[in-house]
Amino acid sequence: MSNGTCVKTRERVPAEGAQMSLQGALRRSFVALHSQRAVWRSVLEECDPLMESLGNLGEQMRALSRVRVSDTPLRVFPELQERLQVQLLQAADLLLQRLRSRMSHLQSVRDAISNQVSAVLQLYEDAADSLDLAAVTQRCSVIPSLADMLAWLQDAERFYKQQFLQRKTLLQTLRLDDLSQLESVFKRWKILESPDSEQEITDALCRLSFFMESHR
Amino acid sequence: MQPLRLLSVEPSDRGSQRCRLGPALMSALGLRLGSPLLVSVPGGSCLCAAWPRADLAEGFLQVDLKCVTPSLIPGLPAPLTLDPGQLSPAPCSKLRGVKVTVVVQSPDFKQHTSPGLVHELVRDMLRGVYVHKGYVVNLEDFKTDIRYVAIDDIGPDSASAGVITSKTGVEITEIQTVQHYRGLLQDQPTAPLGGLEEVRASLREILQLPLLYPHTLTSLGVSCPRGVLLVGPPGVGKTLLVRKVVAEVEAGLVVVRGPEVVGSRPGESEETLRAVFQQARSAAESGACVLFLDELDSLFPRRSGSSAPENRLVAQLLTLMDGMSRGDRFLVVGATNRPDSLDPALRRPGRFDREVIIGAPTPLQRRAILSALCERTPVCPAVNVAELARMTAGYVGADLSALCREAAMHALRESAKGSGQQAVEMKHFQEALKLVGPSCLRGSLGRTELCPVPWEHIGGLEDVKTKLRQSIEWPMRYPEAFVRLGLRRPRGVLLYGPPGCAKTTLVKAAAASSRCAFLSVSGADLYSPYVGDSEKALAQLFREARACAPCLLFLDEIDSLVGSRSNDGAPNGVQARLLSVLLNEMDGVGLKTVERRGGEKVLQAEGAERSRTDVELDFQEVCNKDVMVVAATNRPSCIDSALLRPGRLDHIIYVPPPDLQARLAILKVCTKSMPVDSHVCLEELAAKTELYSGADLANLCKEAALLALLEENMEAESIQHSHFLRSISKMNPSLTTQQISSYLIPSQ
Repeated sequence: MSNGTCVKTRERVPAEGAQMSLQGALRRSFVALHSQRAVWRSVLEECDPLMESLGNLGEQMRALSRVRVSDTPLRVFPELQERLQVQLLQAADLLLQRLRSRMSHLQSVRDAISNQVSAVLQLYEDAADSLDLAAVTQRCSVIPSLADMLAWLQDAERFYKQQFLQRKTLLQTLRLDDLSQLESVFKRWKILESPDSEQEITDALCRLSFFMESHR
Repeated sequence: MQPLRLLSVEPSDRGSQRCRLGPALMSALGLRLGSPLLVSVPGGSCLCAAWPRADLAEGFLQVDLKCVTPSLIPGLPAPLTLDPGQLSPAPCSKLRGVKVTVVVQSPDFKQHTSPGLVHELVRDMLRGVYVHKGYVVNLEDFKTDIRYVAIDDIGPDSASAGVITSKTGVEITEIQTVQHYRGLLQDQPTAPLGGLEEVRASLREILQLPLLYPHTLTSLGVSCPRGVLLVGPPGVGKTLLVRKVVAEVEAGLVVVRGPEVVGSRPGESEETLRAVFQQARSAAESGACVLFLDELDSLFPRRSGSSAPENRLVAQLLTLMDGMSRGDRFLVVGATNRPDSLDPALRRPGRFDREVIIGAPTPLQRRAILSALCERTPVCPAVNVAELARMTAGYVGADLSALCREAAMHALRESAKGSGQQAVEMKHFQEALKLVGPSCLRGSLGRTELCPVPWEHIGGLEDVKTKLRQSIEWPMRYPEAFVRLGLRRPRGVLLYGPPGCAKTTLVKAAAASSRCAFLSVSGADLYSPYVGDSEKALAQLFREARACAPCLLFLDEIDSLVGSRSNDGAPNGVQARLLSVLLNEMDGVGLKTVERRGGEKVLQAEGAERSRTDVELDFQEVCNKDVMVVAATNRPSCIDSALLRPGRLDHIIYVPPPDLQARLAILKVCTKSMPVDSHVCLEELAAKTELYSGADLANLCKEAALLALLEENMEAESIQHSHFLRSISKMNPSLTTQQISSYLIPSQ
């Protein structure tokens, strides 16, 4: 399918050219977004079991803090409680370390998307003088308007930024001495998922599928 | 251009800082995609990025409130139409640095999160946002504990708005909690407060001292006061005072309302109370804080023997107040109007250290309150506030505020009728005075409506009138003369004399002419089948009368009301107990502390001019602090001698039966409204009515008129002399010489 069928021929050739190049950049960004999204999802899936075991460790620590080892037959083992505590903490530390490395993956995904978006916006800024509002709001059945596409791109970027910051805050403010916090960590991690916003990105990508395939 | 209708923002745009508007308007304003745009709405403005609407419709506006003036944080006022002129492009350059205050949700987050992490998060969140100096960036859409970022200053460049990029340096000057931040924002003008300067100053001192000199206090080993109990009748402004002072010293305020604390499950109330203290403690970390417990008596009543749930709540409060360490820099302020029903354990140093008593306002305080209230209303300069303060005896702050409102309403009604006058005049206040009564007398058992009787309506008795005026009217009218001569207002006046000689009417006239509050009580009000109830009612009556002093308290037929101890009646009867209450109230050791009014005199600045009315008001306060008891009886011998000594009923006035002159005067007054024939000789009638009392004479005139009607068959035009004479022949005087002489003996 060619663009010429729906974009009216205009006298101003630079405008046409700018529009074309911007569309090209947008197409590339959306394709990149599509792939980065898959990476994001896979990293999150890796995180889930880690968070679950972290919550599990929290429960174990709670149980340990409740039991009085001196009242049990295990009292023959010296310093059992302290040893167990240290072991649990070590396990938690290890988990956190692995989670942090996952977080850096997430950060790279976010940064990649941000960079794409800011590059496209910069491109628009440069060409803005030759693109009037009629041109950026012009749309047809297969190509959404530039304004809409830029808005979707920004929305997607905002979503990933928010997701990343929320998860980062959760992990960074986690304290191992606060057991109730530690126990509920998996629940809070799951709450952060916001299917609605993600669905919006999916919708936008669906609407763009013709556009993205057109010049592959 | 057509006006713009403001719609609520699309969910997908939330947090994007976009402002959706029609493309035609965008090109008219010269905006590109994402150009910064300043939208001014009533009450504030908002910085956002312009974006065309998805449906390209004109005439609508959707603004995401990401960066707004602090007043717009709660949201936009609902239906709103904007003029396109209220949108203006705001050039935004890339910022080099920005200074911000971070507002976080929980104090917990503030405590445990490292500044580095907060800085990192805030930087990430702010990237790409247009900011304006003095505005607040709303970060609620990130759903973290960081709620807002207030932009204090934006870099060295002079522009007031800019965009934050990854290269912008973000400097966090302070981290506050949302609660504290909201408290700072909420300094909207409160109702004016007058006449409580001293209490206000002492409260301020308690709040500010630990903040200003923390090291001095610790080195001296002084622990700051932790609790202040405000005591006073309803409506004197206790709650307002606390809010005002808190706003003045910019402290945080945690208010506890009774029903919020009390829960249905056992232990729930205590838990909420602990949470409230925790809240105050965390709020105190970011500045001074006041924990305000309003209506303390309902929450923490006196503990009873049974295991009532209140007992546990009181115990919880006690332990919480004891558990406040020196590090907790918040003040607990309680307010109550029934301090006696509080648990006594609360009222000791270490818990509620100071008790501040706010009594019903004195005339000077009333004047201060009135001037504070009238500040914002257009009051005619002819209105004399001092005079108004004098007339509003017994009014508390809430009453005065109602009075001003009512007066303003009267003025408004009048101007609506078309007089065009806007100012509130004295006559409006006088109208309002008829409607708004002092609230301390509402529901009081002695409150009576009486139709004013002028002195002229009482014939004769000139001596008695003068004496009554001396003791009732003069202290009100000429307080400075009383103070100059070191005179004191009499505590009480006893009127005695044969029945029907206008004792009650005299009191009515005195009450009407003195223009002070008037309470009257009879046996029916006081007596009750319960033991102790009558005494309580009498004491309560005196308390109310003192609250609205100067006040006249009229005890009619005092002999039957309190009786005498010397009579052979039962020594422990109700009458004897009432008598002892009366004696105590009239000349007891002193007042209860709760009833204290006003404060010490404020020193006047040297050379400050004081107007005459000011001085007069001052004298009023000195002279008219007391309640004056006026008693009437026709059996003076039955009154206990302890009541009759100076200091209680000082002035004992005999109201004699009318003599010839007086009878003539009475007849003149009685026949004033009657069509009396010109041949009627009132002098002769007066001479023939020896031993007639005033009531008899009034009755005589009535009989004569009835007789005239009887004889002339309902068509009588005037009353003849013969009618009077025949009436006299039918009637007997109600007094006897023996009776009169019996009155004369005890007075000598």
